[in-house]
Amino acid sequence: MPFGWNGKLLRVNLDHKSTREENIDEEILKRWLGGRGLGVALLAREVPPSPHPPGRENKLIFSAGPVTGTIAPGSGRFSLTARSPLTGTISDCNAGGIWGIMLKRCGFDAVIIEGCCSKPSYLVLAEGTCSLMDAGDIWGMDIPSVCSALKKRHGEGSSIAAIGPAGENGVLLASVGTSDGRALGRGGLGSVMGGKNIKAVVLNGRRKINIADRQKYDYFLYEANKWIKANPITSQGLPEFGTPVLVNLFNEMGVLPTCNFQRSYFDTAYKISGEAIAERATVKKTGCPGCPVRCTRVTRGRSGQGHGPEYETVWSMGPQCGIDDLDTIIEANQLCNKLGMDTISTGVTIGCAMELAGEGCLEDAPRFGDRDGLLEMIKKMACREGVGNLLADGSRRLALSLGRPELAMQVKGLEIPAYDPRGLQGMGLAFATSNRGACHLRAYMVGIEVLGIPKRVDRFSTGGKAGLTIFNQNVNAAVDSLSFCRFISLAVSEEYYARLLSAVTGERFQTQDLHLAGERIWNLERIYNLRCGFTKADDCLPPRLTGEPVCEGPSKGHTVKLDEMLAEYYRFRGWDEKGVPTSRKTAQLGLEEFLC
Amino acid sequence: MLKIFQQIGRDLFQSGLNNSHSGNISVRFGDRIIITRRGSMLGHLQVGDLIETGLDKNDSNITLASTEIRVHRAIYKGTPALAIVHAHPPHAISLSLAEDEIIPVDSEGSYLLHKIPVIHAEHTIGSEELEQSLPEMLKEYKAVMVRGHGSFAVGQLPEEAYQWTSSLEHSSRIIMLTRALGYDPGAAKTGKNSRW
Repeated sequence: MPFGWNGKLLRVNLDHKSTREENIDEEILKRWLGGRGLGVALLAREVPPSPHPPGRENKLIFSAGPVTGTIAPGSGRFSLTARSPLTGTISDCNAGGIWGIMLKRCGFDAVIIEGCCSKPSYLVLAEGTCSLMDAGDIWGMDIPSVCSALKKRHGEGSSIAAIGPAGENGVLLASVGTSDGRALGRGGLGSVMGGKNIKAVVLNGRRKINIADRQKYDYFLYEANKWIKANPITSQGLPEFGTPVLVNLFNEMGVLPTCNFQRSYFDTAYKISGEAIAERATVKKTGCPGCPVRCTRVTRGRSGQGHGPEYETVWSMGPQCGIDDLDTIIEANQLCNKLGMDTISTGVTIGCAMELAGEGCLEDAPRFGDRDGLLEMIKKMACREGVGNLLADGSRRLALSLGRPELAMQVKGLEIPAYDPRGLQGMGLAFATSNRGACHLRAYMVGIEVLGIPKRVDRFSTGGKAGLTIFNQNVNAAVDSLSFCRFISLAVSEEYYARLLSAVTGERFQTQDLHLAGERIWNLERIYNLRCGFTKADDCLPPRLTGEPVCEGPSKGHTVKLDEMLAEYYRFRGWDEKGVPTSRKTAQLGLEEFLC
Repeated sequence: MLKIFQQIGRDLFQSGLNNSHSGNISVRFGDRIIITRRGSMLGHLQVGDLIETGLDKNDSNITLASTEIRVHRAIYKGTPALAIVHAHPPHAISLSLAEDEIIPVDSEGSYLLHKIPVIHAEHTIGSEELEQSLPEMLKEYKAVMVRGHGSFAVGQLPEEAYQWTSSLEHSSRIIMLTRALGYDPGAAKTGKNSRW
């Protein structure tokens, strides 16, 4: 496998303290591409579906894409796949930066970590070697500290993915952070890593990625870069303001959820907008290697400098909790990144607790607008201290335990991010049908319903949204598997990816092949979840979003008309009325082996 | 839905991309297709000019559907397209008679389309040949020319497919105008897009 892929995975068995290099069949790589697709396919084969999330038999799969390691813009991402302890679904997250590139440079497309260490340990990988080291002295450290310590030990050029105290303490919202400030946030996969007693994975790779057709690759790269530079989102909006550029935009549209989705408009959003952050807090703009977008911000807060906050974090720690103080939001973001917790789920869960406290259902919890209470609660959650222990299991379990399940803003147990679907019907369908629970990125209907990519459609209409949601879910599953960044898709379409992939690997891929691969990945995730016990009843939204109309602002009077879209969605997918892929569909996608 | 079809149909006619009764537009909703009526005037679509029928199965409405229905079905079955615009753009048709591919030389066409393949068919209207060949080409290209017949463009929305059709004709016109001035557009282009 000389081009693009390495054709190898590394299996690390923590029970036996052994490692083994394995060849990956070429057909598997072509079918599942890499990143998310490869991770999902490996996990579905190796971790049997069961009604309850697995314990030590759960596996962690790190995987990169075939283009990862080249300088194609936005191609340096990698995925982490496992069964989520938060949702019970098959779950994956991906992140940018250098770690994925290093994985490829170590000579692997994927690393499977199975079993469990008897004591705190960390992994060190380089080309041809893998060591399991004692982590006794770094256990308990926050993520920046552990990365700093391991860089001193293993070289400044090494790249590290690590958990913080939250992952060690089994917090179900725990993330994995990298040494260049990225986070694998959603689904609580940090707690899977903590459960295996793995504190960090250190990479040191130097292997070069070979490109099959350099001339074509250069041409497609040139063409893609032309669009990235021409598009005002990727050339101006994101580079200048980062993702918080969306705060004002969404507030003006009445889709910025406020105080646990009780409202959809935040009166003082301007105080925490992308413009405000650029003016008051941004210290430095940076980005992933080879990417001209440079959407990452380093900001300064009361407690120092750090990466972010991204739009979703500004929202989760801000409007969702009724807070308009930028310094508090920056500090909350930094706390989560240090302690290793998903900022979206953390903020949404605290917002839920704030409403529960206001309703008299929960003592010792802050109320909406309580800045210090927010920061204290984050610390308590990471340590599972006091009432923080309840919140550490996420909003669904919290609200259910207090007899008010309707107040948890979640789908399949994953907290809903910063987009009120009552003003974005397609996003509502995308949240409800997402295989990993409420996720804005799986279909990213913001493109078509807000930004007009490829063309703008009526955001309040349900007509045609099923087809558009499916189209985008499939494309994005393929893009995640190539390990491209979603923001690149704001400027270039999937035909560029197909041509770049062909040039890099030397294998012919048509645009259609990517759609098919994406559809295969989506259906496999669905089949796996169904076999874990999920049903049509889980393709739902909180009653507030389907039953309580927005009370004011540009989205006033709207609810999500999910029933109008869901039946069409199933039919369009080739599923039966219960949301189960038909035998014809599974045969068409070659998924029969995963049915039993 | 009728309003969208009316807007796109009117613009296709008024901009000269279709004559009075040529061309057709369709969208896919799951296992259903909505397509313009056979012989309808795209510039003046009325209630009753949109025909809904099955993607796989025929029903009585098939008798009213556009002659190109089989080609539309094949494209929907073979690609992820959610909308199709078929037009008869005169400059692009003219070029298709002389070229095997249309490579825009203007900036916008070059950015948007890179290259439009031209395919040949013995029978050009609603034919089995096109059923076979068009979906294959549209797996890789946004729009394809059928030699001497017209364009087929795909997108997520009718507006998107219309844009590719409009850009194709615009680029074709520029190529012909440049040739009319005595210049060879081939000399102006970088040649890069032939790799697309």
